[in-house]
Amino acid sequence: MISLPVLTLLIALPTAGALLLVVMRKREHQAKYVALGLALVELLLASWTWTAAGNPAPAGAPPGFFLFEDFSWIDSFGIRFTLGMDGISLLLVLMTALLTIIAMLASWRDIQQRTVLHYALLLLMESSLVGVFLALDLFLFYLFWEMMLLPMFFLIGIYGHGRRIYSAVKFFVVTLAGSLLMLLAIIGLYLIHGSETGVYTFSFASLLGTSLGPSVGLWLYGAFLLSFAIKFPLVPVHTWLPDAHTDASTAGSIDLAGLLLKTGAYGLIRFGYPLFPEAARTLTPLLLISAVTGILYGSWIAFAQKDMKRLVAYSSIGHMGFVALGIAAWTPVALSGAVLQMVSHGVTTSALFAMVGMMASRTDTREISAYGGLWGKVPVLSSFFLLFAMASAGLPGLNNFVGEFLILTGAYPVARTAAILAFLGLVLSLVYTIWLVQQLLFQEERRAMPMVDASSREVLLLTILAVGVFFIGLHPGPLLEVMALPIEILTGGAR
Amino acid sequence: MNLLDISIALPLLLLAIGALVTLLTGAITGKQGAGYLIAILVAIGAGLWAMRPPPVLLAPNLGLSASGLSRFFTVYFCFMAAAVLIVSYKYNQSRDLYGEEYPATVLFATFGMVALAAATDMLLLFLGLEAMTFGFYILTAIDREREVAAEAGLKYLLLGALSAAFLAFGIGLLYCVGGTLAIDDLMRSTLAATSQRPLALAGWAFVLLGIGFKLSLVPAHLWAPDVYEAAPPPVVAFLSAGSKVAAILLLLFLLQGAGDSVILRVPLFALAVGSMVVGNLAALRQNRVRRMLAYSSIAQMGYVVVALLSQQGNGLQAAAFYAIGYGVMNLAAFGAITILETSGCGAEIDAYRGRGFSQPIPSAVLAVSLLALAGIPPTVGFTGKFLIFASALRAGETSLAVIGILTAAVSIYYYLRLVAALYLHQAAEQPARSAITAQLVPVLAAVLTVLLGVFPERLLLFLQAQFF
Repeated sequence: MISLPVLTLLIALPTAGALLLVVMRKREHQAKYVALGLALVELLLASWTWTAAGNPAPAGAPPGFFLFEDFSWIDSFGIRFTLGMDGISLLLVLMTALLTIIAMLASWRDIQQRTVLHYALLLLMESSLVGVFLALDLFLFYLFWEMMLLPMFFLIGIYGHGRRIYSAVKFFVVTLAGSLLMLLAIIGLYLIHGSETGVYTFSFASLLGTSLGPSVGLWLYGAFLLSFAIKFPLVPVHTWLPDAHTDASTAGSIDLAGLLLKTGAYGLIRFGYPLFPEAARTLTPLLLISAVTGILYGSWIAFAQKDMKRLVAYSSIGHMGFVALGIAAWTPVALSGAVLQMVSHGVTTSALFAMVGMMASRTDTREISAYGGLWGKVPVLSSFFLLFAMASAGLPGLNNFVGEFLILTGAYPVARTAAILAFLGLVLSLVYTIWLVQQLLFQEERRAMPMVDASSREVLLLTILAVGVFFIGLHPGPLLEVMALPIEILTGGAR
Repeated sequence: MNLLDISIALPLLLLAIGALVTLLTGAITGKQGAGYLIAILVAIGAGLWAMRPPPVLLAPNLGLSASGLSRFFTVYFCFMAAAVLIVSYKYNQSRDLYGEEYPATVLFATFGMVALAAATDMLLLFLGLEAMTFGFYILTAIDREREVAAEAGLKYLLLGALSAAFLAFGIGLLYCVGGTLAIDDLMRSTLAATSQRPLALAGWAFVLLGIGFKLSLVPAHLWAPDVYEAAPPPVVAFLSAGSKVAAILLLLFLLQGAGDSVILRVPLFALAVGSMVVGNLAALRQNRVRRMLAYSSIAQMGYVVVALLSQQGNGLQAAAFYAIGYGVMNLAAFGAITILETSGCGAEIDAYRGRGFSQPIPSAVLAVSLLALAGIPPTVGFTGKFLIFASALRAGETSLAVIGILTAAVSIYYYLRLVAALYLHQAAEQPARSAITAQLVPVLAAVLTVLLGVFPERLLLFLQAQFF
């Protein structure tokens, strides 16, 4: 029914757009609209793929994938241009398309210099993220995995604040150093599979059944895990995150927290566990410890922050800890929760970063102690902030609650202690969120600051996100439904 | 010498005669560009001739081969020479370097490279290598206004002469053992005999030391930073993309004959690890762009040796692929540096600040080549490193692969430092325009860097056919 190579198009369109922007770099004003238009087309295209969800797998596709494209590429090394979409990648691609638009809208006025390059970078970022979520050839996956670092590096380094250069370099070096070992592991897996079967291929579907010795499997999985954990980021390899998030521009933070962090979790779900089921089970305790530490530590440190952007950044570590907990539990319920939490966190964190950006651009400060009494002065902004803060804290009826609830219920039977400790973390996150809301909105005004209420552009972007918050919070059914089949296949195969 | 021989030797003849004609143009026309134009045309002509399929694969009278690999690299060296000459023209004008000796010397050096690529016996190999290096002694010091250039040229000459002596002595010793100068036979007979004959062992040690110098492998790397820093940037481009690639080819020819020799593994292992570790760590500490790139090239040669050590895992194919990629990346990098320096950019990394926006095209080219050298996809640097590590793992050289990848991780930092200087640091913008002709070659090289990275299949298949 869909004969167009939609998946290839989803990757190619933003890149082509970025090149187009470079050509028309002299016309800054039109370029912004062209970029936004392209991002909208991409979103429409991504939404259209939902109509294919539920279709049986096309010929050659692994089970669960309803869209599949496979082109010859570097055949002499068994490398093919293979893309596939199942329910999980569908949700993440949709989120990527949506958040790219949000990132563009959020930085519409803030970026005054080198505007065109900014939008070109956002589009390039979108391309490589969609590539990561769709690639079903390990070489191709790795290619996109590394490619997404470049636009991010420039987004932080050119458009960021504070120690932006230090943060950009740190982000790049730490994340890339982690993935290089994964490259060796990918090659190792390729060679082992090749020598076992005589077929040298990087195709994910073929590599799935590779039988590995216990120690080899552990080494290879360890390299994958390290690379994913850095992106995730799991404690103790999270140190790049607070710097990068704090110093990035608003759009950079949205891309970073909303999308880039998800690639780590996605990689673990798509590749880590299925390729190395035994090694993954062996190292599950490690992942559990790291997840719970992340939840508690992230929330605890967030409470101590004076800079509200840093606070949101540390809260991400906590929320992603929940995702890690859901993956470590690897039950259908917990895993659905993890995927849902990835989407939810993307929405809420982007909203919070966008709002922090809005406030900071009005007042030139992100010090929490400088604010106060916003509720009376800027009611629209304040109510949105309250909504997203509550969503982030996991208020029932809003989006994060569903994911966290599913993760905790799914994890409790298999990892009781971890689930209980994670619940404590939930309480902690409620504490710092309420504290933040109280400081910003309801405290007496502490410093006279120029503050105007939300513009129509801001209301638009916040409304889109708010709809997302309520939709996932009240009616998560469609999302859970679309990911049900791939999760059943994943959990059925591994446990 | 019959017609067939001439047909095979024609690129060599063209280059040699072309060089002489170039030298004479000054006396006849007195026009600036004439020498360059003739030299460029000659180089392209020689390259085009080598592209056509030869009537026979071997000219035994001359000791020349016209195998696919030889012809491929003949074409590569000739086109590279033409590209370097195009880049040099404007730069040399800006440095008041007039005269035909520059294009003529480039052609002579190219002659050496082509002779090396086509050689089937050790004597011709040595002659080609030395003809090439001799050209570079002159080219390094050709900018007489710069005292450092003369100093670097002298240092290069002294160390180079020493290494040439080592190499010649080593070849002599191997000849004593093997009784032949034909490369393949010599490899087989001497390597089999190393266990009994200390002479063969000593011969190999000298040969490796000589080649190590040309490749600037640790511990014979000390000339590289000085030459890279002091020579005119187009010459450095040619040194990287021409001379080093030729030296890789030389080592490749020798090791191809050597098969999977245990005797050579230990010294090559040490050279590879030493170059990767020392090169990358030393590059971290450099504040001058060209010195940094010199140490980076030392490290890059280490990766090539890793590939050459992994013959059982298609390492030769990986090495040849990486050599070509390395040449293209360096042409782009030093082509861009040529443009930037012509418009007044200093030698320090700090001098590159903000250039990304005041001189977008050369900076973009430089950034692409730096990221390629760092091995970031989608560039030929990534694909090449991937092939090298794949062949190392396949050949069971896991420790080399791990050391290589860890040092590659370290190297990202210094490449990124320069990229950060170009784009992330604010600086007063002084827009500078440079001629389209000057930008053409670097831009093409940058495009090729990406294209070869994304579509390596045809080159890979060609190389694969050469080694099996």
